[in-house]
Amino acid sequence: MKNILDIEYERLKLKNNLDVVLYQDKSLPIVAVNIWYKVGSSYEKPGKTGLAHLFEHMMFQGSEHVPKEMHFRYIQEAGGNLNGSTSIDRTNYYESVPATFLEMVLWLESDRMGFLLPALTQEKLDNQIGVVSNERRQNYENQPYGLAWEKLFAALYPKNHPYSWPTIGWMEDIQNYTLDDVKNFFNTFYSPQNASLVIGGQFDTEEAKELVKKYFEDIPNKKTLPELNVPDVQISGNKKVIYEDNVQLPRLYLAWLSDKGYGKDDASLDILADILTGTKNSRIYKSLIIDKQIAQDVAAFQYSAKINGSFIIVATPKPGIDLDTIKAEIFKEIENIIKNGLTAKEIRRSINAYKSSYVYSLQNLDALINQINDYTCFLNEPNSFVYDIGRYEKVTAENVKSVTEKYLSKNFVELNVIQKKDA
Amino acid sequence: MIIDRSIKPEEKGKIEFQLPEIKKTKLQNGLNVIFVEKNNLPIVQFNFVADSGSKKDPVGKSGLNYLLSLLIDEGAGKYSALQLDDEVESIGSILRCQTDQESLSVSMLTLKEHLEKSLELLSLIVKEPRLTQDDFEREKHKQLTKIIQLQDDPEYIANSVFRKILFENSPYKSSSIGSYKDVENITHQDVLENYKRNFSPGTSTLIVVGNIEFNTILKLIEKQFTDWKAERTIEENQNVIKPKKRQFYIVHKNGSAQSEIRIGKISRGRTSDDFYARTLMNSILGGQFSSRINLNLREDKGFTYGAHSSYQYNKNGSAFIVSTGVESEHAGESVSEILKEIDGIRKFISKEELNFSKSYLIKRYPSMFETFSQVSSNLTLMTVYDLPLDYFNVYIDNIERTSLAEVEAAAKNDLLPEYISILVVGDKNIIKPQLERLTSQQIIELDMEGNII
Repeated sequence: MKNILDIEYERLKLKNNLDVVLYQDKSLPIVAVNIWYKVGSSYEKPGKTGLAHLFEHMMFQGSEHVPKEMHFRYIQEAGGNLNGSTSIDRTNYYESVPATFLEMVLWLESDRMGFLLPALTQEKLDNQIGVVSNERRQNYENQPYGLAWEKLFAALYPKNHPYSWPTIGWMEDIQNYTLDDVKNFFNTFYSPQNASLVIGGQFDTEEAKELVKKYFEDIPNKKTLPELNVPDVQISGNKKVIYEDNVQLPRLYLAWLSDKGYGKDDASLDILADILTGTKNSRIYKSLIIDKQIAQDVAAFQYSAKINGSFIIVATPKPGIDLDTIKAEIFKEIENIIKNGLTAKEIRRSINAYKSSYVYSLQNLDALINQINDYTCFLNEPNSFVYDIGRYEKVTAENVKSVTEKYLSKNFVELNVIQKKDA
Repeated sequence: MIIDRSIKPEEKGKIEFQLPEIKKTKLQNGLNVIFVEKNNLPIVQFNFVADSGSKKDPVGKSGLNYLLSLLIDEGAGKYSALQLDDEVESIGSILRCQTDQESLSVSMLTLKEHLEKSLELLSLIVKEPRLTQDDFEREKHKQLTKIIQLQDDPEYIANSVFRKILFENSPYKSSSIGSYKDVENITHQDVLENYKRNFSPGTSTLIVVGNIEFNTILKLIEKQFTDWKAERTIEENQNVIKPKKRQFYIVHKNGSAQSEIRIGKISRGRTSDDFYARTLMNSILGGQFSSRINLNLREDKGFTYGAHSSYQYNKNGSAFIVSTGVESEHAGESVSEILKEIDGIRKFISKEELNFSKSYLIKRYPSMFETFSQVSSNLTLMTVYDLPLDYFNVYIDNIERTSLAEVEAAAKNDLLPEYISILVVGDKNIIKPQLERLTSQQIIELDMEGNII
């Protein structure tokens, strides 16, 4: 039987170097388009943080041939879904529509790739600065523990490191963008040569190729892309940060520097996270939540990105239990792994969970072609599901033990979110 | 190639979409089975739905069914809690138990190769949950701690307090997780009795969506479920919920960066004759991104990251609710703009707006059947609301044939301003003066559990 994860695709490069991948799936009369621009918040400068994300908002405000509000309306009128997202490493835009509307989507995407600036106005910028400021208030400032992540990463990385500021940006930076900032950003990063376009779902391949050429090939590239300047990073001595928040219960965050995405140790660190907290039987979960019942929740994960990664553990103690108590228990479990290793059964269980999650992830076309775009941009091979799972299948108990020692016995950053006195 | 970009490309060709065939049957012991075959991936999704849920929580014991949903997969049949989890995880299946107002469900997503084992584990959870004293104590403590944590969550406070305002004195007045005081009073015996009272084959439905033939899966279901004999009858809830008079409420939350706004009223149920007219009306008013309320508050004023409205249904009725989080210094203006939009839609709806919303709802229809869990949740809706078997087949026709006059009537009849409740959760010192400019009424102040201060 053919491996369903071994996907078929076609790839072409337009004359302007736009990377294009076509993936057919005719199970529903839907077509989805997904564009990555290889720019995220890590390409910003201190003082101009959050610009990549604000720029993403401006991309929905119409372009030369698409009036304000009509980008949304055209897609919605066609019965489609659309959105975009900004991460530290990239910005993506995606829409899925009935298969009959492919040309309209390519028209919309190409118009904002090539012809955004003529439609840009101060009024639109002011409005979206308001919207993004409220996004920051709603999803960060007004959420319990909502500012913890930016405190943690600001402590983990030095100030000039591109991973040290939050994707949404600092509030005072958000409120001070000018039209020139937005224009410069577009002229620097939004070129065909810096983008990757994936079309998935029901379509005719030859027709799709023609349409892509028709709408995208005459879009010129702009400046040459700037190099990312990344300072070396290491934590000199353990660091502890205390932050007061409007919360009923304190929360402990521990962070170590680790391997980057698709790096040699990345998959072993993912498996380690699962073995620590992924199931009821996992080491730390069982200790803290089932046996001792001193924590309400605990989660560990390998947060891997393009430049490097971090390994993070977050735990909330039960009322009356202090952070040092759960911290001691967490370290006891880590030391136990470093000393005594893991069982083959634990590794097997975790690998199986990863394997099935890849099959489940094929259900949604938007998510599927976004993953194809991830493989295209980071591995230069769209058909990488089999390779990707292979990374996990190869992980042994010995690998996990050794990455635990290699990364988790190093210096770390600890953040304590504690209850504000008047809360 | 020179192309004219000023012209929007038209739709090309025609969509061919076949709705999946829905099969329905009943086992000898009364268990309802609903099935859809879906073959594009080697996956099977199960969802067991019990006629339970928080509407069945006894008075003074809110949160009881939520607690049952935490506890029900903590060991079953021969497996202890940890053994059961190990069985599920080692085959890579995903098990979820949850409760809402109308039902308690246990769902399992599995690879086809582990279908039999997954079904066996699911049936054990449903038929023979262990519900031990130790697991009860631990999960109850977890629920109590969660309730404490939710005091930090402004959206939760707004939703649960607004629920209490609208559904006062009805089984829908509490959020599923319940109040601290009530949950503290729940005993192990309460949970055991609640399970007995609300779980039986005749009052439950097993939904299956997957890459398998109907006859094959039916045999497997019979093998696992025919020995289940529990009996009980459905008690119909005849409670009629009265609409409340127009009133402003606030909940004080110190130092909030934003204010959460909820505006709405009690409305009619899913099977009422104006269901489609209200669906279209809501879509124009606040049901999607390009709706009047979102364009006004977000894309014009920039007061919020997003604002929307919806009809939230229960078995007998619904609540129409507008919700948004806004910068606190614009809370008053946001409330007044939302009220203006509600008045506005009662006065005028254009043909273009209606056509846009019809197009939106009709053309996106195939995408509602994309994933296994989407199909399964569609079938769950059908079960919970007793929708007819052809509901999905006639949906598009029903939207299409709804006239502008019917949509106008739905707005006029349903969104009566004298029955609209208004709640703002935020810093009282900032929001109260703003709201006082909007009403001559006394503004009622509530605590975070919705009790009058």
